[in-house]
Amino acid sequence: MTENENLIEVSDLKMYFPITKGVIFQKKVADVKAVDGVSFTIKKGETLGLVGESGCGKSTTGRAILQLYRPTAGSVKFKDVELTELKGEKLRHMRRNMQMIFQDPYASLNPRMTVGGIVGEPLEVHNIAKGREKRERVQELLRVVGLNPYFVNRYPHEFSGGQRQRIGVARSLALNPDFIVCDEPISALDVSIQAQIVNMLEDLQQEFGLTYLFIAHDLSMVRHISDRIAVMYLGKIVEITDHNTLYEDPKHPYTQALLSAVPIPDPVIEDQRQRIILAGDVPSPIDPPPGCNFSTRCPRVMDICKEVDPTWQDIGENGEEHWVACHLYE
Amino acid sequence: MLQFIVRRILWAIPVLLAVTFFTFALVRAIPGGPFDFAGDRSLPPSVVANLEAKYHLSDPLWQQFCSYLIGDTVCRPGDDSGRASKGVLLGDLGPSFRYRGRTVNDIIATALPISFQLGMMAMMLGIGIGIPFGVLAALKHNTWIDYSATLVAILGVSVSNVVLGPVLIWFFALKLGWFPVATWAAEPLFSGIADKYIAASEQIPMWVNIIPKPTVDFFMHAALPVFALGTALSATIARMTRGSLLQVIREDYIRTARSKGLRERAVVVRHALKNSLIPVVTILGPMFAGVLTGTFVIELIFAIPGLGRHFVNSIGNRDYPVVLGTTLLYGVAIVIANMLVDITYAWLDPRVRLE
Repeated sequence: MTENENLIEVSDLKMYFPITKGVIFQKKVADVKAVDGVSFTIKKGETLGLVGESGCGKSTTGRAILQLYRPTAGSVKFKDVELTELKGEKLRHMRRNMQMIFQDPYASLNPRMTVGGIVGEPLEVHNIAKGREKRERVQELLRVVGLNPYFVNRYPHEFSGGQRQRIGVARSLALNPDFIVCDEPISALDVSIQAQIVNMLEDLQQEFGLTYLFIAHDLSMVRHISDRIAVMYLGKIVEITDHNTLYEDPKHPYTQALLSAVPIPDPVIEDQRQRIILAGDVPSPIDPPPGCNFSTRCPRVMDICKEVDPTWQDIGENGEEHWVACHLYE
Repeated sequence: MLQFIVRRILWAIPVLLAVTFFTFALVRAIPGGPFDFAGDRSLPPSVVANLEAKYHLSDPLWQQFCSYLIGDTVCRPGDDSGRASKGVLLGDLGPSFRYRGRTVNDIIATALPISFQLGMMAMMLGIGIGIPFGVLAALKHNTWIDYSATLVAILGVSVSNVVLGPVLIWFFALKLGWFPVATWAAEPLFSGIADKYIAASEQIPMWVNIIPKPTVDFFMHAALPVFALGTALSATIARMTRGSLLQVIREDYIRTARSKGLRERAVVVRHALKNSLIPVVTILGPMFAGVLTGTFVIELIFAIPGLGRHFVNSIGNRDYPVVLGTTLLYGVAIVIANMLVDITYAWLDPRVRLE
């Protein structure tokens, strides 16, 4: 038996949200194509960064992988198990292995439950621990994420944003998952706290052999934590490669524009930084442009881009993977 | 907790004093008096003057208020013309001007238990129907279930009891003959105690009357009015529950709960419902106070001798002590209901501290 080194395999994942009209007889008038055919893999123990501007479908991708939304089409395999076909009890049991850290630590914790209740509830519903045992496990988890174990009886509103996010992390670790989707876990936090949380996430990854899908829009933070990075634009992934390669040699014009917007913490170099300013707005995901989704704003647009979808291909050299979807490299 | 209750009760005293003062002033500001009858029933001026003197209505207002509040013995020393009132502070609400020989305390002691039983059952029905339907409508948001539940709720709110009551009587009592047409049939559960008071021809204390004997007759008589009142309440409760639950169910922590691998049922009951009950509890408090102290329309239509009619009729009759007594009772009910609401908040939401 050969072991598959890919923990997660996503292929042609689509998540459409219908727009309906009519009060009693609802008919579908259009779809919001939040995620429109993305494919990628995540290796065991790896961190895949997922970046893109607001509304490009990053979070939706994360939720669709965990089946918090049921994908419209495509397949998501976790350890070779097809998640999109799992239902009810089987899916519930599968959730032990895959968890999520949510973006907003203020909204994602139930205000009327104690920390012990929030972190311990997964243990109870999956029949892992109860009573005293559960309490001890919760205290241990709090210690792991750097919180005082005596906090079990406190309520979320008694904590700061960073502490709340640590509670969220403890909750996601409670079931010993293999895979965690970090949905912008740091964007709601102060910069000083962001580093603490990211470092903690890295330490936890080492300690427990976790695999992350790290969704963010802070490009420098993503470079720091990720092994590989995927860049998303309007529901599609335009480029995936190693974290250093992406920053040093971005191929896709969108990636180039995105990276040119990252400020450089050195005033001399910062002054020379050439920003690629994109014209216009992101088109509506209800009615994306024909051909390449980026063709309406691309500074290097060609005629073919407006008609034909670019193919998703590996253009990496020296055995390095560098996937990109752009006609410039065909 | 105990400290909170004590503080709330202390706070209620100035509130209730203000209620008494303003009601006293307002009711006397209405033109006419308790003994002004029109036409054939009008009394000769000398009789009116005698009656007004008997009830001290010709005294200065400040003295009337004083003796209403703290009793005749303090404010009218040496006066022995009528029966000496002990004052509201000692729980004596005074005599009724219209019902000769009956005190306001007697009226409340007889009528309140009936209104209380009706209101209690209607509230139970209202909550029992309202919350489940509201939850169902919210969970099946924008489906035909939601639309029909909303439609029924809007009907329930907008179809007045003036219409619903007679329709129920016409159909279920007259056409089908399933239920009696009207009146109330409560006997005290502790009939032995009640009998003792009757034998001694004394007023039966309120607590004896308030607990009904669960006889078939009692429930048959109660069915229609409780249904009419309860459905109207349930419509409001259902709309409130639906709206609030719809908001909560979109919260991030509900997604967190799902991602933990909870069953949908547990997500709704444990995480969503309790958080969404706060606005519902807020309206339940005043609703409770209002319904328990009597509902004019329902009691009138079903000929139930509850407290509701006293609220309304006493104003027309210029029966000052009854107006004051019922208003004060309602005030007390509101204060207690709001206190219970606040205690419930603390249970529903740990961020609320009772201090």
